[in-house]
Amino acid sequence: MDYFSAFAISGSGMSVEKLRLDVTALNLANVNSTRGGAGTLYQPLTVVSTAKSGAFAAALAGAGNAALGAKVYEVRPSPMPVRLVYEPSHPDADGKGFVAYPGINSVNEMVTLIAATRAYEANVAALNAAKVMALKTLEIGGN
Amino acid sequence: MSVDPVGFLPAVRDIVSGQAPEASAQAGPIDFAGWMAREIGSVNEKIVNSDQLLQRLATGQVDNLHQVMIGLEEAKLSFQLLVQVRNKLLEAYQDIMRMQV
Repeated sequence: MDYFSAFAISGSGMSVEKLRLDVTALNLANVNSTRGGAGTLYQPLTVVSTAKSGAFAAALAGAGNAALGAKVYEVRPSPMPVRLVYEPSHPDADGKGFVAYPGINSVNEMVTLIAATRAYEANVAALNAAKVMALKTLEIGGN
Repeated sequence: MSVDPVGFLPAVRDIVSGQAPEASAQAGPIDFAGWMAREIGSVNEKIVNSDQLLQRLATGQVDNLHQVMIGLEEAKLSFQLLVQVRNKLLEAYQDIMRMQV
């Protein structure tokens, strides 16, 4: 059934938004981390998503739309300046008493979180609409 | 006053005289049975697939919950399509069985 391609498209969007949520949660979890994994400071991450390639040609050909959708292009560190806080008693303080925190803006992260949630909801709404249409189609000829 | 015999429908004449109808109808039933078997097979595949998805969800091997839900929805839709086809078939069969001969 060609409705399954709509499901697949919505599903790819959901996967992307789920990853966005994961990455945002990771950023928020590390907002006060003063040490990264390999001695470096934690870098805030951003999900860059893109449309699946070759999608337009496939759509024009009218062949299966299952290859359409969104995908994650990369998860890249955002170039945010570190946040320096004067805490001389902190074990990670430098010579002048400043501690470097990752440049994570909690407000931005919350906005990303809400946007990802809403986008996920929109994908679910599209999927449900496809389902309602398919079920309605099965009512053709019924009484 | 005379009543014309039912001679204007070639198909009816063929059936009445016991001759086999033309070629297209001959291949029909076999093709339909094959199609039906294929469709039932694909619906069964979907149901088995959703069963496996649920099993993997229960054992914690699923990383995307929505894929499980989409799989379940696909199985449900396929099954409902099958049920509707079955309803139509049965309806047609009963219509024919009720027919006065």
